[in-house]
Amino acid sequence: MIYGAWICLLSPLAAAGLITLTGERISRRTAGYLATLSCFVAFGGAVVTFIGLLGREGEQRSIVSTAWTWISGGSYRSGFEVMIDPLSVFMMLIVSGVGALIVAYSIGYMDGDNEERRYFAYMALFVFSMLLLVQGGNLLLLLAGWGMVGLSSYLLIGFWHERPSAIAAAKKAFIMNAIGDATMALALFLLIKKAGSLEFGILGGEYSSTVATLVALGLLGGAVAKSAQLPLQTWLPDAMEGPTPVSALIHAATMVTAGVYLIVRTHAIFESAPHVADLAAGLGAATLLIAGLIALVQVDIKRVIAYSTMSQIGYMFLGVGLGAYANGMFHLMTHSFFKALLFMAAGIVIHALADEQDIRKMGGLRQLMPRTYLAFVIGSLALVGIFPFAGFFSKDSILAAALDRGAYGYVLWVAGLAGTFLTGLYTFRLLFVVFWGEPSPFVREHFHALERDVVGLSLAIPVAILAALSVAGGWIQWAPLWHPIETWLRTAAEPTVSPENWQEWVSSGLALLFGLGGMYVAWLIYGARRLPVPRFAFPQRVLEHKFYFDELYDALFYRPTVWAAKGLHRWIEEPLVDESSSSLGHDTRDLGRIVARAQTGLLRTYALAIASSVAVLAVVFVAVR
Amino acid sequence: MMGPGTAWYLSVAGFLFGVGTLGVLIRRNPLVVLLSLEIMLNGANLALIAFARHLNDGDGQIFALAVMAVAASEVVVGLGLIVALNRKRVPLDVDRLNSLRG
Amino acid sequence: MTTLLIVLPLAAALVIWLLPLNDISAGALALLAALAEVGVWIQLVARYDFGQGGLQFAQQWNWFSDLHVSYHVGVYGFSVWLVGLTVVVMAAAIAYGFWTGRDRMRAYLGLMLFLTGAVVGVFTAQDLLLFYAFFEAMMIPLYVLVGVWGGPGRMAATLKFVLFTMAGSLLMLASIVVYGLSQNTFDLVQIGQSSSNWIFLGFVAAFAIKAPLFPLHGWLPDAYRESSPEVAAILSGVVSKAAAYGFLRIAIAKFPEPTQHYRATILALAAGGLIYGSLLAFRAPDIRGVVAYSSLAQMGLITIGVFSVNDLGLDGSVLLMVNHGLVSSTLFLLAGMVERRTLTGELARLGGMARGRPALATVLLTTGVIALAVPLSSGFAGEFLVLAGVFRHGWGWSVVGAVAIVLAAAYVLRLVSAILHRNIGAAVSDAALDLRPAELGVVVPLVACLLALSAWPAAITQHSFRGDHGQADVAQGFK
Repeated sequence: MIYGAWICLLSPLAAAGLITLTGERISRRTAGYLATLSCFVAFGGAVVTFIGLLGREGEQRSIVSTAWTWISGGSYRSGFEVMIDPLSVFMMLIVSGVGALIVAYSIGYMDGDNEERRYFAYMALFVFSMLLLVQGGNLLLLLAGWGMVGLSSYLLIGFWHERPSAIAAAKKAFIMNAIGDATMALALFLLIKKAGSLEFGILGGEYSSTVATLVALGLLGGAVAKSAQLPLQTWLPDAMEGPTPVSALIHAATMVTAGVYLIVRTHAIFESAPHVADLAAGLGAATLLIAGLIALVQVDIKRVIAYSTMSQIGYMFLGVGLGAYANGMFHLMTHSFFKALLFMAAGIVIHALADEQDIRKMGGLRQLMPRTYLAFVIGSLALVGIFPFAGFFSKDSILAAALDRGAYGYVLWVAGLAGTFLTGLYTFRLLFVVFWGEPSPFVREHFHALERDVVGLSLAIPVAILAALSVAGGWIQWAPLWHPIETWLRTAAEPTVSPENWQEWVSSGLALLFGLGGMYVAWLIYGARRLPVPRFAFPQRVLEHKFYFDELYDALFYRPTVWAAKGLHRWIEEPLVDESSSSLGHDTRDLGRIVARAQTGLLRTYALAIASSVAVLAVVFVAVR
Repeated sequence: MMGPGTAWYLSVAGFLFGVGTLGVLIRRNPLVVLLSLEIMLNGANLALIAFARHLNDGDGQIFALAVMAVAASEVVVGLGLIVALNRKRVPLDVDRLNSLRG
Repeated sequence: MTTLLIVLPLAAALVIWLLPLNDISAGALALLAALAEVGVWIQLVARYDFGQGGLQFAQQWNWFSDLHVSYHVGVYGFSVWLVGLTVVVMAAAIAYGFWTGRDRMRAYLGLMLFLTGAVVGVFTAQDLLLFYAFFEAMMIPLYVLVGVWGGPGRMAATLKFVLFTMAGSLLMLASIVVYGLSQNTFDLVQIGQSSSNWIFLGFVAAFAIKAPLFPLHGWLPDAYRESSPEVAAILSGVVSKAAAYGFLRIAIAKFPEPTQHYRATILALAAGGLIYGSLLAFRAPDIRGVVAYSSLAQMGLITIGVFSVNDLGLDGSVLLMVNHGLVSSTLFLLAGMVERRTLTGELARLGGMARGRPALATVLLTTGVIALAVPLSSGFAGEFLVLAGVFRHGWGWSVVGAVAIVLAAAYVLRLVSAILHRNIGAAVSDAALDLRPAELGVVVPLVACLLALSAWPAAITQHSFRGDHGQADVAQGFK
């Protein structure tokens, strides 16, 4: 079982290294197969670990396996170790499973690109990094995985590096993530000072409320950055510059969910700092509303789905902030299924339309791509949370948990319900605009169907699998009736809220109603064209500018930094470098000139000097005697 | 042996030294400066010998001989320089020989 | 064996200077000597007893017995790693210089080898006057290397370099003399600790100029820009570590009370330099400028680690010293390789070099991410330890360090993108080929060392101080 965990972790790394070293000696397709194979091997390892863990009970379900001491300083040690417990296995299965499907899909999607090998090496590196993050046996390795995930994301977003917009987006993503890394590091320093170690167990220790709040805040900063929640959410939409499978893997299923995982993993410290947990829930709620609103005006197919991701992760943050850890993780799982499905279906559409992503140019694809349309429908229904699709079971239990938390909880509950309406609205807006109606002129001109070959198969099969999971996957847990996930995760993270059954039914009912309401309004406006598209100038502008966050950050951070750098260079560096040495030279020369005046060249001056010095010496000599 | 006391010799030596110094400082002709330098040296020599006799120590007289040798060599060099200067029609005026100015 | 490490390159230098060899044989001989040096070092590492720690492989011969000055050399745990850094980087530099071809090859190679011996001497000298002698001996070949084989502005750069370093060295000499005479011995192992602020400041001045530490870095930009790439690599990779070593071995070990007294000031200057260097690197218009200012920033960070004087900080600073030495020398060598191909280092005229040049892109990117201390790299491990260590003296320092982490990401990514990505720059033509096998042979070993170190940073952090207790060693003055 321990070997299973190590194989899971290391197999994608091995693939990445192998692809990098062999370079052009293997074909591009081979690189793809290699990467996919390594992810399936990782999944196999995860399954083996899962089975092994099933055989154990309760407290025994937590093992740390150390390979070697990674770093040390005095009495502080951190090993290169993996943690095997229900939570990590849960994540391992999702990451490697969905990851393998997406890498398989990439074989078809990226076919024909010159740099396929680099792509697959980066994808394998990413899967490794994400696995390190979820399997890391101590907080330092978690941070290591955290950073590597940010790096892989940079590499993949900026994959088509000839495009300045892609490079800019990649840098933005990395730097915002680096801010999160920095706050997490500060939290870890505080922990080292107080507890002397970074093993997960120390999180349950006794800390003063200030210390616990600071640590939790630092961790939350990292979570917010990685999961693109308010206030560090601006990098996610730009990240759509990367290839679509990248968006599916990183910005739907795995990387952005890392923040949720972090909070659950370190739940002990969040429980010691309840205000920070409430803050997390609040940020989640705010993000889900704002993202939902912005999604209403987006015209790029991938950006709509991206904002949808941001919104859904807001739900997850809401859940884990309130203490409903299992519910949050369950939604993480179902979300990875249907969001990846949506991205992959969108990818097929984009490919079919010669890489066009503007939905205003699309329309009427329902007849031309029936299977893709079906996948999209399944994904959308799951996303909105319609029974019996996956999202219904996971999202509603989060809302129910909010009811268990008093007045603040009610506010969050209302926000969540409003978000459900928005979800229905923007999701089906997208569906109707892209697939319904008559095929637009652009579509008629550029559409070409997919071939039936390896490419086509590699695109179709993962989509089909994910569609099936989106339909059936939710049935694993239906909160009032059966909840194996909660039981499974109980030893790793005991939930602190447990909604009553009636709360569950009420939430589910209302959420379903609101979701259907959103769908209906979307149908009215975009599907059946009964109502005109609302056009309110000011809100439209605000939404299109994404609430002006980019402009705010530009003014607050980027401009001052550049200005400071310019100022320092002009006022300090140039004088320091140029004049320090030239002033040294000039001063020395001036001093020399002054002293040189004694050298008159006249014999008599020198003679006088000698004579007078002798006289003085003689006087001194006599006087001293 | 009797004769004038050591103090008289020393005063003559001092007088010679003073005259020589004045000559070095005041005169403008390098030849005269060299002459005055010689007078200074002679004064010093006289003082050396006087002390040698006074302290009954032969070292002073030996040293005076050494001084004479050095004076002779230095005069040779000095006179050589002055003759060369004269040949080049450089004015023999110490105040105008200042090309080694710093 | 320590003396062998010092004498081998010196002897090789002498041989190359004296024998009338042609360029190829001189180069081959120099490279052979450099690699033999690495081999001797490997022997040293294998045989050093890390469990016991302390001074090993010591040799001592009397020099001036009335002043108690002796030729005393030996290695500690952490100096083993610094010597290793030196020999590896020098071997890479010599290989690069040999491959690129410089005029007056024999003189050049001889100077490089002489420099190797002198730097190893600095790291192993256990006597103050011997240390000073090697410290100065290190500067002589550098003056010549920068002044003769440098770029167009080399004379001004050398002059600045000379003036600054001389000023520092003279202050250090004064300190050494007073210190040694007052303690009646010049032997670093035996000499007692002192509480004199002035002597401490004399040492600190010299090391602060050499490192360099803000604001005494006036010589840095020009010297790094004008020297040839491998000399710049040596300056920033190896020579600056001599200053950091001096801080560690002499300043904090022998002057505990002045260290306490001046700690806040020095930390403030180092932290200031960290932010200052990072900001200027973010703005620098050429490759060399970015790497030079990032060096300034990293040396600030290393100084923070040294002056936190606790286990975490000291282990972290040693790791960072080795890491930065490898990273910045690789970056300067890569800068040289790019400059050879495009005849310019200006970022505005570069770009798009990743297309068709996978080797260059991979090596540059890998080195870049280790430079910005991406978590799981050795740079991260070092920075983490240093900032965790200085956290004990005040959380503000760590916050500054954390800000610097974000800035480092900004300037490194800017550098990498400006060279590799986006549109093809004006100076980049198709004739600029990918890295040749010889060039790969120079940088790949360095990168491989970095990757190995990233997988196992504890190799250095657990094996630097006796039983991994840096503070105890420092407090005892390294007995």
